Order: sequence, then structure tokens, then C-alpha cells
Amino acid sequence: MEAVDVRVLLAPAISFACSGLVFLMGRNVFWRRFWSLGAASLKFVVVLSMLPAALAGKTLVWNLIEFTPGIGIAFRADALGMFFALVSSALWLITTVYAIGYMEPEHAKVRFFGFFALCVSTTVGVAFAENLLTLFVFYETLTICTYPLVIHEETPEALRAGRKYLAYTLSGGACILLGAALTYQVAGTLTLSKPGIVPASADVRTLAVLFATLIAGFGVKAAVMPLHGWLPSAMVAPTPVSALLHAVAVVKVGAFGVLRVVYNIFGVELLKRLGFALPLAYLAAFTIIAGSVAALFQDNLKRRLAYSTVSQLSYIVLGAALLTPASASAAVAHIANQAFAKITMFFAAGAIQRTTGKTQVHELGGIGKQMPLTMAAFTVASLSFVGMPLTGGFITKWYLSVGAFESGMWWFALIMVASSLLNAAYWLPIVYLAFLKGPQEVAAAPREAKPSLLVPTVACAVWVLVLGTTSDVPGMPFALARAAVEFVFKM
Amino acid sequence: MWWQWPHWLPLAVLVPLGGGVVTPAVARGSARRAWGWAAGVSAATVAVSLALVIRVARGGPFSYAFGGWQPPYGIEFRFDEVSAFAFVVAFLGALAIVFSRQYAPHALAEPRVPYYYTLLLLDIAGLIGFSVTGDLFNMYVFMEIVSLTGYALVAISGERIAEMAAFKYLVLGAVSSLLALFGIGMLYGVTGTLNIADAASRLGAAASTMPVIVAVALLVLGFMVKAALFPLHVWLPDAHAIAPSPVSAVLSGLVVKLGLVGMLRLYGVVYASRAVDLSSLNWLLTWLGAVSIVMGAFFAIFQDDIKMMLAYSTISNIGYIVMGFGLASQYALVGAAVHIFNHALIKSALFLAAGAIIYQTGYRRLSDLRGVGRGMPLTAAALSVGAVSIVGIPPTAGFLCKWYIALGAFEAKRAAFGFALVFGALFIFVYYIRMVNAFYFQEPVHADVTHVGDPPLSMLVPVWILAALCLIMGLAGKVPLTFVAPAVSRLLGPLGG
Amino acid sequence: MIGILWDNFDYAVSVLLFLIGLYCVIAKNNLIKKFMGLNIMETSVFAFIVALGVVKGGSAPIMEPGARPPFINPIPQALILTGIVVAVSTTALALSLIVRVWRQCGTIEADELRELE
Repeated sequence: MEAVDVRVLLAPAISFACSGLVFLMGRNVFWRRFWSLGAASLKFVVVLSMLPAALAGKTLVWNLIEFTPGIGIAFRADALGMFFALVSSALWLITTVYAIGYMEPEHAKVRFFGFFALCVSTTVGVAFAENLLTLFVFYETLTICTYPLVIHEETPEALRAGRKYLAYTLSGGACILLGAALTYQVAGTLTLSKPGIVPASADVRTLAVLFATLIAGFGVKAAVMPLHGWLPSAMVAPTPVSALLHAVAVVKVGAFGVLRVVYNIFGVELLKRLGFALPLAYLAAFTIIAGSVAALFQDNLKRRLAYSTVSQLSYIVLGAALLTPASASAAVAHIANQAFAKITMFFAAGAIQRTTGKTQVHELGGIGKQMPLTMAAFTVASLSFVGMPLTGGFITKWYLSVGAFESGMWWFALIMVASSLLNAAYWLPIVYLAFLKGPQEVAAAPREAKPSLLVPTVACAVWVLVLGTTSDVPGMPFALARAAVEFVFKM
Repeated sequence: MWWQWPHWLPLAVLVPLGGGVVTPAVARGSARRAWGWAAGVSAATVAVSLALVIRVARGGPFSYAFGGWQPPYGIEFRFDEVSAFAFVVAFLGALAIVFSRQYAPHALAEPRVPYYYTLLLLDIAGLIGFSVTGDLFNMYVFMEIVSLTGYALVAISGERIAEMAAFKYLVLGAVSSLLALFGIGMLYGVTGTLNIADAASRLGAAASTMPVIVAVALLVLGFMVKAALFPLHVWLPDAHAIAPSPVSAVLSGLVVKLGLVGMLRLYGVVYASRAVDLSSLNWLLTWLGAVSIVMGAFFAIFQDDIKMMLAYSTISNIGYIVMGFGLASQYALVGAAVHIFNHALIKSALFLAAGAIIYQTGYRRLSDLRGVGRGMPLTAAALSVGAVSIVGIPPTAGFLCKWYIALGAFEAKRAAFGFALVFGALFIFVYYIRMVNAFYFQEPVHADVTHVGDPPLSMLVPVWILAALCLIMGLAGKVPLTFVAPAVSRLLGPLGG
Repeated sequence: MIGILWDNFDYAVSVLLFLIGLYCVIAKNNLIKKFMGLNIMETSVFAFIVALGVVKGGSAPIMEPGARPPFINPIPQALILTGIVVAVSTTALALSLIVRVWRQCGTIEADELRELE
């Protein structure tokens, strides 16, 4: 059931307008904060107001403009898109609060907040894209808009990281462009509103090339190994950027693209018959383990977070590649679970850096006594990554394991177990270090980060727990994930 | 309706031609008066060519027989969808003239300024004539008007280096014109007619194909030198980089397209008659196009001079278009034809913005221009929009051609060229990102660069009109794509493409 | 082969002239000599096109009493008149450029000019 509704357009348009206003009036601190916070709240409300319709099985659409003959820039808020849009607009609001506090001593704040809003606009554009070309348009725009944020520091190191980032992501974009052209040639349409558009009658080799190009294209941003190299380097960006863009917007856009390719371009049935998904599953499993192993050896906290992101993103890819309903719900749900847990950690890392100046893991001894709330939030997020029940991460791991058994490939469940152990091995020592070790004299005076940094951190941690406990409550995000899965598997 | 008046078609050429010739007389030595007159004439040209575009959009192609002598005996002007290039010419020419208001007296000696406008208007007249003529020999004549004024415009600043660049341009340009004239002569020898449509219908009955093949080869060679396809590009970088910036915009945006519009006309003759098999020519063009994309980008990477970079980027973009021609499928040809228009917009935006920056700061090397994004925010932003557009980031105008030629490559079952095109574009990004980095993200070398301020409105307005069009023509891509599609279908029609 | 060339003597000569001219443009070092090569090329093309209109035993197409076909095709001649005008303007422009180069650089030898750059 479809209905034309302008809110689908408004969601990306609000942050677009916000970025324009920030560029125009942003020299004034008040207006810069006013427009950033106002637009973020408004956008969240708009997306939230679409939730009841999406849960009721109604899909809102809006055709903006016919871009090339037959293919328009069109928006369509199906369950999967709604889920992603909801996560990113909620986190935009929280991150904006955090960024206002964090960026205070930084330079070029107009540019920062302007492009920041633009990025969120394009992310929601990707979420609501009705066809592959619209998705690609926003995907590439996102690449360009993140560049000024990545190199915000303007140091040679930042510029180098920015070049690397562009080299990786634009090559990925080129692959997607070719994949889209080939899809159009094979299927005659690019719509993402169906569970699979590629005809089963097409030449198998062509389909293999198509699958490989599209997955390689989206795989760059989803940081599937060996395409992950840009992500750790991009950590030179200011923490709010790393948080939103490298835990949510940029990387999730890649993972979301993989979901779209598997579920909406090829479709589950066709992929099962072709067997292309199995190599992807192996690649994802390898990335999960290898990313975690790499994270073990990082002393810089943000770099450890980056490798953990590489590993975690492949949960989503693996969930998609296993092609079962349970693994699919894990993949969709992990978009939120990973985002909230990872952003908590980034916020905590940023808060520590701003308050104490510490950036390396080995310096964190006793920090838990100094900043108990921040480190408590960090601990919750760590437990979620380890997969403790009652946290969001458990839901993902549980459904992924169920999916592994459903698909008959039980050994992927072992990957889950191994990953949990590895996660424990590189997160829990930090918790241990923070609370149980370190110089005792500092403990006398707890000195938390300022409220604008602390509140978002704690809020995200709380939400990680909510995600972990409410998966059966109707009306909560997980219900949306279920709806998306039901559509894909035609249940 | 006003646009139906038949005599608009000859007027589109006569207005700038006549207006250009009398400019020095009207100006009587005053640069300001010359500018006013030239701007008025070019505005009138825009209006006239707009009437023609409206007419072709409503009713399809039409023609005008001079003196009532019907073709093939009389001389014919014929306006089809490809001729809409004339409107782009008039529009960009007008913007270049507006831009010259403060730029020309600054770049040239004051007494030369009226002649500068004369040459610009004659150049515009020649380009419009070339795109509307229905006669092979008149194609040559208009081509020579464009080329001669082009050589003179490159040399007009009077600097030593400009005159040497102009001479190089002149020699290669004259050779290419003669090659084309030789080809036209041979076509005339084979068909006994100079009318393009008539030649197309008679070529099929030609007794032997050998002269036709030679004629096509000569014409293609001539046109490709004009279009600066690699490896025939040697004249372009110096000429385009050294000319005054509004002239660079016209040369790079419009004058090189002469060869490409000429190619479309030639295809119109040869495809329609099916006289010779063009598949090996097209094979060669596809390869040269691909090589051109990569080599243009490769040379540009090592340039420090901002206009030199833009000049090499033109070679890459010509590569896109020629590759589209070579693929010879519906999508690829539509993409190539539209990129003729879009590249004109984008490259003019880039050259005019670069000109404004050079005018304000006096520097033209990237290493000197660091930090100019702070000093000239609006101009640098326009330049960045143009850069994003020419690299082909959606939803800008440059993206459409990439998308369509990629579709065309798959349609023609030559997927490898789709890959070459899309990954070649990444090379182009390498040097544009260098430019953006220098403007915004690197420590200034010269402190004055960061507070020079944006240029006068006569420069800023044309630059931003073009930058906005880079975005609008991307979002409204359907308009040009559907507009040229019938022309391409007619071209490929007999082949069943 | 020889026979074909002999039958199309006029065409063969114009092609030969064209190549001689091209050689001058490429190989000569002096700018004026380069340009003379270009003029040779122009002449060869003009000769070729005029030769297209020749009809064996034809007379000039002047419609006076007593004029009898076959006539020579007058169109190529008209075209070449225009062509000559174009060629003259090109020559004028090129020579004026050469003069200015001479005044500013003191040489018109291509290799010496390259060294000056």
C-alpha cells in the first residue's frame, strides 16, 4: 500500500536547508547552534511521525523530479529505509548536541556544521532512495560532503587521509555506477521497491559480474576486507565526525547498499539459486575475525574503535549473505545496535580526549574513577559488542546464529563465538584498566566531561540497553526490522 | 507565434556578424561603449537563437532557403536538434562578453578592446553558422571564420608567449581545415552536390567506395585536430591557457566542439547513406577517446598553472565525447551529444571563475593561490561546483554523460569501455582535488590572497549563472536528453540502432 | 597502377603537392618557410577542387548566343574564389604574427624560439 506524502521529501530536505542556513548565517554562534539543533530536532520528529504508517505496512512515496528519461529522483520510505533513516536522524540530533560542546575550541566551525548537516541529508536520501540511481546520487554526494569533515584539521596527515578516503570511496562509487548501468541493461528498471528485479533468465556470467561490481562498490564504504583501508586512516577527523560518519552515516550507507543489492536488486530466491552469496559470507566472516584481530593490536583508542567498526560492519554483510529470515533480521537490527554502541564509545573517547587529553589505551589507567559515568557508558557498549544478553549486540548475535543454523551452515555460528571472545579480549581490558587499575591519587576528585559531552554519551548507552530488551515490544524499532524481512522473504 | 517567423534563422548568424563588424565604428575608441554595444548584440543573438530552439522543440527540424532558391541548388540553413548548439554558443558568448567588461581593459591595451569584441562576435557568428548550415562548403567557410578569429583572439594580449601559441594554433588549425576541405572536395566529386541532405541520399549510389573512405578519413582527421583529440591535441594547452580568460572559456567550451558537431554532421551523411562501413573507424575512435581521457588527466596532474590544468581537462572531456561517438549506440550518442552542451557550460564556468581569480589576485599558479577560498569565497565556491561537475559527481551536469555513455557501452556490448570511462574520470578527480585542497585547506603562501574579496559583479554574475546551470542541468537532465534523442534516432535509424 | 595515375594526372599532382606542403610545415625550422608550406597545401587543395569541375572538351559556361554544351562545372571555381579569400586572410594573419614574433624575440627560427621559452 503506497501513499504520496511530502514528509518523505522533507526528511532529507530539512537538513539540506539547514546546511544552507548555516553557511549563510553560521558566523553567529547563536544562529549556527539554533539552526543545527532546530533542524536536527525537526527532522527527527518528521521521521518519527512516519513510523506509525510504516509499522502499519503503509509505504510513503514522493517523486521529486525526472532525472533522466524513465528514472527519477524519487523517495520511498519502506520498512528497511525507515529503519535506517530513524537511526541516522536520531543520532544526528544526539551528535549535534555533542558536537556543539566538542567543537568549541576548533576552527572553521561554519564549514563543519554546514557539511555535517549536508551529510545527514544525503544519508537519509540514501535511506529513502526509490531506485538505484537516486541511491547512487546521494551516495556520491555523501562522499564529497564528508571530505571537508575528514580533513578538518588541515594537517598534512589529515590531507593524506582525505586523499586515501576519496581514492577508496570514489572507486567504489565508480563500481556502483557501472553496476547500475549494467542492472538497467539487464533488468530494464532500477527500482528498489520490489524483492528482486534482475530476471532469472539473464546470462549467469553477466549476473556474476553485476553482483561483484555492486558488492565491491558498496563494500568499500561497508569496509569489507580488503577494501577497508580508508577507515582507520580517516580517524584523524574530529571525534563527532568519526562518531556519526564512521559509525553511522558513511559506513552504514555501504552496509545498507549491500542489503539493497541482496534483497531488492537480486532477491533472495535468485541469489540462493546462483550461489553468489556464499563467497560474500566467507569474506564477511574473514573480515569479522581479521578486523577484531587487528583491533587487538591498536593502542590508539580511536584506531581500535575503527578496526572494531570494520569487524562489526561485516555482521550486517554476513546477515545479508546467509539469506535466511533470521539472519536478515539480525542484519537490519545490527544497523541500530552497532550504531548506538559504537557511537557511545566514540563519544566516550572524545570526552576523555577533551577532558584529560588522553588518546592511547595504555594511558587510561584509573580513568573510570575520574569519569565514572562516561566509563560506565563505555562499559555498556563494550558488553554489547561482546554480546551480553540485555544489550543490543546480543540480539544480533542470537539471530545471526539462528540464521547460520537455518541455512545449514552452522560453522558461521562458530564465527560469532570467536568474535565474541575477541571482542571481550580487546574491550574488557580497557574497562578493567579504567576501573580497577591506575594511579590511586587521581581518584580523589571525579572530574566528568562537561554536560554537552556527557549527556549524549549516557543517552546512547541507555538506548543500547533499550534495544537489547525491547525486541519483542510492538512499535519498537525491531518491529520495523521484522516488517522489512517479511517483505523481502514474501512472508 | 513570434518564434515562427522564418527569417530568424539567417538572422542568428547575421546579427553577431554585422554587429561585430561595426563594433569599432560604434565604439569610437571607448572600451565602455564597445562593451555596451557587444553586450546588446549578443543579447539579441541569444533571443534570436532562443526562437530557433523553441521552434525545433515544438515542430522538429526546419530549413531556410536563401533567396528562395530551393536546395539542393540554393544555399540552405538547416536547424535540427544538434543545431541547438547555436543557442549554447549565443548564451555562453553573451556571458563571456559580460564578463569582459572589466577584464578586457585589464588584460589588453585599451585601443584593442573594440577589436576584441569584434573578434568575439565574429567567432560567435561563425560557430552559429557552422551549427546551422546545411551545406558542406559553407561548413568550411564558417569553420575558417571561427578559426581565424580564434587565432587572433589567442594573440590579442600581445605578449610574446601568446603570439607563439597563436602561431602554433594557426599552423595546426590551417592544416586541419585543409584536410577537411580536401575531404569536402572529394565528397563533392563523388556525389556532385554540396548539400548535406542531398549528399546523404546520393552517396549510397556512389560507383566506388574508395574515394568515400578517403574523404571520410580526411574529414575525420581534420575534425579531430580541431577537437584536440589525443594525439592531435598539441596545439590546445598553450593556446587555451594563454588566451584571456573569457576567450579561453569560448575556445575550450565552444570552439573545440566545432570538430565534434562536424563529426555528427558527417555521421549524418555517412550513416544515412550506408555507403561505407564505419565500424573500424568507430573502433579507433573509441580507443582514442579512452586514451584521450587518461592522457589528458595524466598531463593535467603535473600542471601548477590553474588554466593549464583546465586546458588539459578539456582533452579528457573531448575523449568522453569521442568515445561516445565511437560506441555508436543510441545511449552513447545521446550522452555524447548532450555532453557537447554540458561540457561547454561547465568548462566556461571553470575558465571564467579562474579568470576572476587571476584578475583579483594576479596569481595563476596553484601554489600561489593557496587560501584563496577564504579571500574569494563566492568565486572559489563556483569553481568547486564546476570541478565537482566536470568530474561527474551526481547530480551535476557532468554526471549525465558518464551515466549515458556507460549505459551505451553496455548496450553496444563493449563493457570494457564503460569501465575505462568511469575509472578514467577518477584520474580527473586527482587534480581537481588538488585545486580544492589548495583553495581551502592549505596554508596560504601569500597573505594578500586571503583577503582580496570577490570580483566585481560583471564577473561574479556570469560565473554563478554558469555554476548554477551545472547543477540545474544535472537535475533537469531529462530536458536535454529527450531533446537530442530524436536527432540521434534519425542518425542511427537506417542502422536499426 | 601507372595507368590509373596517368588518367587522374591532375588529382595525383594535387596529392603530391599537398604532401610536399605538409612536409614543409613539419620539417622546416623557419616560421615563414613553414607558412609557405601551408600555402602550397592550400594551393594543392584548390587545384584539386577546380580540377573536379573539368569536363573534357568543355567550354566556359557563359550563356551567350552560340554557347554549346558541354560546359565546365562553374561551382568549384566559385567555391575556390571563396577559398582563396580565406587563404589570403590566413596568410595575412600569420605574417603579422611572424612580424611581431620577430620584433619581440629577434628570431623566427622555431628551435631558437623554443629555447627562449
